[in-house]
Amino acid sequence: MHPVHEHALLQSRRHFFGRTATGIGTAALATLLNRDISAAAPKVIGGLPSLPHHPAKAKRVIYLFQNGAPTHVDLFDYKPELTKRKGEQIPDSVVKGARFSTMTGGQTVRPCLPNITNFAQHGKGGAWVSDFLPHTASIADDCCFVKSMFTTQVNHAPAICFMLTGSEMPGRPSMGAWLTYGLGTETEELPGFVAMTSRDKEASCGQIFYDSYWGSGFLPTKFQGVKFRGSGDPVLYLSNPDGQSRASRRTALDDLNKLNELTLKEFGDPETATRMSQYEMAYRMQMSVPELTDFSKEPQKVLDMYGPDVKKQGSFAFNCLMARRLVERGSRYVQLLHAGWDQHRNLNTQLKVQCQDTDGPSAALVKDLKRLGLLEDTLVIWGGEFGRTPFLQGDIKDVKSWGRDHHPYVFTVWMAGGGVKAGTSYGESDDFGFAPAKDAVHIHDFQATILHLLGIDHTKLTFRFQGRDYRLTDVHGHVVKGLLA
Amino acid sequence: MVIAYTLFNPPGHRIGTLSMPRLLPILCIVALTSPVTAADPKVDFARDVLPILSDKCFQCHGPDEKARKADLRLDLKEEALKAPVIVAGKADASELVERLAPADPAELMPPVKSNKKLSAAEIATLKAWINQGAAWGQHWAFVKPERPKVPTINNPQFTINNPIDAFIAQRLIREKLSQSPPAEKERLIRRVTLDLTGLPPTLEEVDAFLKDDSPQAYEKVVDRLLGSPRYGERMAWDWLDAARYADSNGYQGDGERTMWPWRDWVIRAFNDNMPYDRFTVEQLAGDLLPNPTKEQILATGFNRNHMINGEGGRIAEENRVEYVFDQAETTGTIWLGLTFTCSRCHDHKFDPISKRDYYSLFAYFNQSPVNGGGGNGQTPPVIDFASPEQEKKRKEAQAAYDTLVIRIVPIERKLREAGMVKNKEGKYETTLPQLIESALRKGPNDRADQNYDELIKHFKDKEPEYVALLPNLRKAKQARDAAAQGVPKVMVMAELPAPRETFMFTRGDYQKKEGKVVPGTPTFGKAEGGRQKGDAAFGSVLGFSAFRLPPSAFPRENRLDLARWIVSPENPLTARVTVNRLWQTFFGIGLVKTTEDFGVQSERPSHPELLDWLAVEFQNPTPNPLPQGERGLNPAPPSFPGKGVGGVGSPQPWDVKHMVRLMVTSAAYRQSSVVTPELRERDPDNRLLARGARHRLPAWMIRDQALAASGLLTSTIGGPAVKPYQPAGIWEEATFGNKRYQQDKGDALYRRSLYVFWRRIVGPTMFFDAASRQTCSVKGTTTNTPLHALATLNDITYVEAARALAQLAMEKGGATDAERVAFAFRRVTARKPTDTQVKILVAGVEKQRVLFAEDKAAAATLLKTGDSPRNEKLDATDHAALTVVCSLILNLDEVLNK
Repeated sequence: MHPVHEHALLQSRRHFFGRTATGIGTAALATLLNRDISAAAPKVIGGLPSLPHHPAKAKRVIYLFQNGAPTHVDLFDYKPELTKRKGEQIPDSVVKGARFSTMTGGQTVRPCLPNITNFAQHGKGGAWVSDFLPHTASIADDCCFVKSMFTTQVNHAPAICFMLTGSEMPGRPSMGAWLTYGLGTETEELPGFVAMTSRDKEASCGQIFYDSYWGSGFLPTKFQGVKFRGSGDPVLYLSNPDGQSRASRRTALDDLNKLNELTLKEFGDPETATRMSQYEMAYRMQMSVPELTDFSKEPQKVLDMYGPDVKKQGSFAFNCLMARRLVERGSRYVQLLHAGWDQHRNLNTQLKVQCQDTDGPSAALVKDLKRLGLLEDTLVIWGGEFGRTPFLQGDIKDVKSWGRDHHPYVFTVWMAGGGVKAGTSYGESDDFGFAPAKDAVHIHDFQATILHLLGIDHTKLTFRFQGRDYRLTDVHGHVVKGLLA
Repeated sequence: MVIAYTLFNPPGHRIGTLSMPRLLPILCIVALTSPVTAADPKVDFARDVLPILSDKCFQCHGPDEKARKADLRLDLKEEALKAPVIVAGKADASELVERLAPADPAELMPPVKSNKKLSAAEIATLKAWINQGAAWGQHWAFVKPERPKVPTINNPQFTINNPIDAFIAQRLIREKLSQSPPAEKERLIRRVTLDLTGLPPTLEEVDAFLKDDSPQAYEKVVDRLLGSPRYGERMAWDWLDAARYADSNGYQGDGERTMWPWRDWVIRAFNDNMPYDRFTVEQLAGDLLPNPTKEQILATGFNRNHMINGEGGRIAEENRVEYVFDQAETTGTIWLGLTFTCSRCHDHKFDPISKRDYYSLFAYFNQSPVNGGGGNGQTPPVIDFASPEQEKKRKEAQAAYDTLVIRIVPIERKLREAGMVKNKEGKYETTLPQLIESALRKGPNDRADQNYDELIKHFKDKEPEYVALLPNLRKAKQARDAAAQGVPKVMVMAELPAPRETFMFTRGDYQKKEGKVVPGTPTFGKAEGGRQKGDAAFGSVLGFSAFRLPPSAFPRENRLDLARWIVSPENPLTARVTVNRLWQTFFGIGLVKTTEDFGVQSERPSHPELLDWLAVEFQNPTPNPLPQGERGLNPAPPSFPGKGVGGVGSPQPWDVKHMVRLMVTSAAYRQSSVVTPELRERDPDNRLLARGARHRLPAWMIRDQALAASGLLTSTIGGPAVKPYQPAGIWEEATFGNKRYQQDKGDALYRRSLYVFWRRIVGPTMFFDAASRQTCSVKGTTTNTPLHALATLNDITYVEAARALAQLAMEKGGATDAERVAFAFRRVTARKPTDTQVKILVAGVEKQRVLFAEDKAAAATLLKTGDSPRNEKLDATDHAALTVVCSLILNLDEVLNK
């Protein structure tokens, strides 16, 4: 029997044995009224019985995806050699005929462009961080900076797809779908896998957030990320129709349950029982989602940490706090996507603004999780789909329009929390920040490592589709032991 | 009953408190399809052995030459049966057996790191097979189906309406299970009407059926439905999912396209009962037929439904190759039920499809003049469906827009220049905000909608005259775009005058060309035609017998040859794959569960002989396929009121309506779907069909059902896509304001779901678990989540339908609550509610009435949901209360299911 089907059957059994025929509504209400997040013992809903394969260091993931590709050489990967050689052609011995996007593919002049702002070392680990990211610098000792990431995709959409689904072509399950399929979730009132998007205030880039980034591919669609919207109801169709009160809805649902109970008795279809519990869950979500988005009980100190945008629905800061509140309530995987890192010709104007938008909230999230004791088993990931060229895109004399093109050959991401070796850097790029010099980490290695932290052997979490056993890491990937705590 | 017991429990999974022994799924499948029991110890290669070898061994010892280890192949008889690998008759002397449980753990096969392991039962199967002489065979799906003898069923407890029932009964009898009684008439007519038209029956139709006591009453209903134009609309949906049909391109920009005349072609083809071979040939190669008609060229729009990537920075050739990959693979999935994607990079791991086979198939589609550049949703070759009025409108709209552009461009130039100042280095830089400078630089044509807002906001006080022009310009641009987009141009297929050379690509990378290939149909392992000796899959005996068509009429093989090969009577797959998909449509799950995969790794059919019988019947229908006999009904020959073949008289070859009719008139289909706990435990997925199928309606059908039951449905067929209710901001958020959702008004809100505009990057939100329409999908998934509940409870579409249904009930249902709820209930479920149900519903109305009486404003607000007018004479409190109860009815499990 299919595990999903089995889950439904289990639910129906729970239904049969767990509650009386008429008491569902009141039982649900009672649960709601008595809800106490901190006291509730985590109960896993769904998931495969064979998981975890080994004890997990991390129980949940918040992925702060930086869409557009943050420039590693300006933010994390300090390269004095570029300053030394400012304006000089980057040596062919470094480039080795590498391919670039059509935007610089035809450009023959490739002058080295130094970091556009200053770097300093931070924390006990002495991590290099740009002064555009003072808040990130302040959490350096919680982070592991992976400075030798590389990918094989040179355009945004395929590279993002690769990072988040393990394949450059849309249609495979995303990481969050794999994790909720494998590990289930710990909340019945909120989705186990949530995606939220935001973009820079200047709206400088037109990258689109395709829903395949949080899709379920060939896994059942219930594992697809639920996209929280940036305006209006965060969840589609969440609110009752205008004019229908919650009391009216409760009454209607109680009657609906009574009638469905008759159908269940007559037809004996376990899907009917599942449907009944799903309608109850929908009702609970109507309360739990507004409660989730209601920041009024957050201490002012905490709100201040996330910055002034935190109260603006759809902003990165808002989404960061939402992410914390979601994992606190049992969500397994929260995927943020923030666009605006595609500095082809506005490096000197836009990068600083972009950093200001994201630096504070990202660091605040880590600090906030730490404050609540959640950081030790929550994995936070920050990074984009590739890096940016150490050489200039544009004319070196035209300072205002300096830019950097897509650079898949090396880039930096940082991770914090759940089982990651804090206060360290892993891997190195060469003197130009062009390619990995030590301990190269491929996307599939990175994914294998994330799964490992969650107690999953990436070669064993598979799903058969079209006659083949598929997995997040395709047929590749090695756990990067060096960044494990 | 150990086998049946393990049958329905997955390995190592727990049900309740019972822990199951760890058995591999493959055994379950073997057991389900044909139990290997002590009474029947004969091991069958294709059924019992090949699935084990394929799943556990072929990864390293199969068709893929590059992945092969130890130079050993187990997919070839000559290689596998070579001593000491397998010594026929002597399992103990065979190294294969030895390695499955070796003394030295390092020798174990499959190796531990492969995560594959043979169960004790599987090892026993292999041993028994070798001891029985190691007879070799072929994968069943690659062998041409022969018409099996229809079993004679002498058990009077089984109703046999046609051969389908004989095959189903044979299996049930073997399993010691019985048929369920027929479903009640009301439930049956609702089921078949939804299945054949996607709409619920009207009360008149239900009454007529209830009154008709003739033995042919049900068949008459089926014939009426097959003749209804709604049938074509219903059947089109699944085809559009498979053909990845949408109204926009996908990817960044996501420009609109006008492929809807092709969608209407599909509806007509189903309604006219176009034979499936013609349906196939016209869509794959209509343009290559002698003197093709406009309709035949239109049909080839099928292959242009793929996504188009207009992202800046994309290389045209890279796009073009992607499109051809998509065309080849979609064809492979839809007609052959095979996954070709793996072979982009390497020989198939399991199926005898070499990389060369893949690129030979690719080569057929590689001959189109499309070059991959640009993101136009009307990229030639196209055929124009513009009417003279549309042409006129387009010209006028363009002229109006041009007039405004001429006025506004100089103003904008001045504004930009005025914003420029010299900096210290003597260079000009702008003092305008970046957003504004960028909007101005783009110019009126390339500006997004949102840029207009930004400009208006910025210059509102400074340049009132300019700002006054902007809304007009925006409107003129929208009118121009709408007029251009309104002119339907359907992208179709054509051949380049000179052939484009086709190469294999290393790891599917379009830049890394390997050997040259020519168009050629897959030989599935047999060397013929374009294939070369030495190809990895060459000579594999798993392949089905190669066949070739008579030489091409063209100087080189083209898509028409491919299409004819696909529908050739020699092709073992096309008919099987197609009848299996039809079976899935009506029974919820295919006879082969893996609708998308008939390869070696596919699931064995639950009823192999039935599948073959249906496949042969599809290609060569018997003039009267129904068995004679005392109990065997012998209804009149099918008489389809629809046009085209399949009319009065005998069915034609490839007659889709004939197959549909066979399926829905079978006793298996007509059974009650009530299930006992024992039977559910025994056969949770209902593969044996000891009961009728019970499935949730697809999301689109739930919407159509609500529109029809509430009387809101607009019945217009075909035409441009419509934009019904959708929560605000969906498109805007997904496209950064570049695409605005302009909801339609009036009748368009109530068109069938088939006509709803499908934006690929963010599909219509009301179809909560629909196919993505990004790539080919032949298997729908229905899920059961709180998000669906929220949609059908709160979406305006459903609330308005509930309001309209309540109004109908108040106007026509009767004066009492009991009559009204019964009326509404019956319009949706086709049956009268029981007394208990009426009681619950009436009590519900009373409770809601109390709530709305206390809050009249709420009642008034609720009744304002949706654009359709309300009968203001009706009491608002009553109407609101009944609206909530009708919404409840529309959400009943019984209503969401069929």
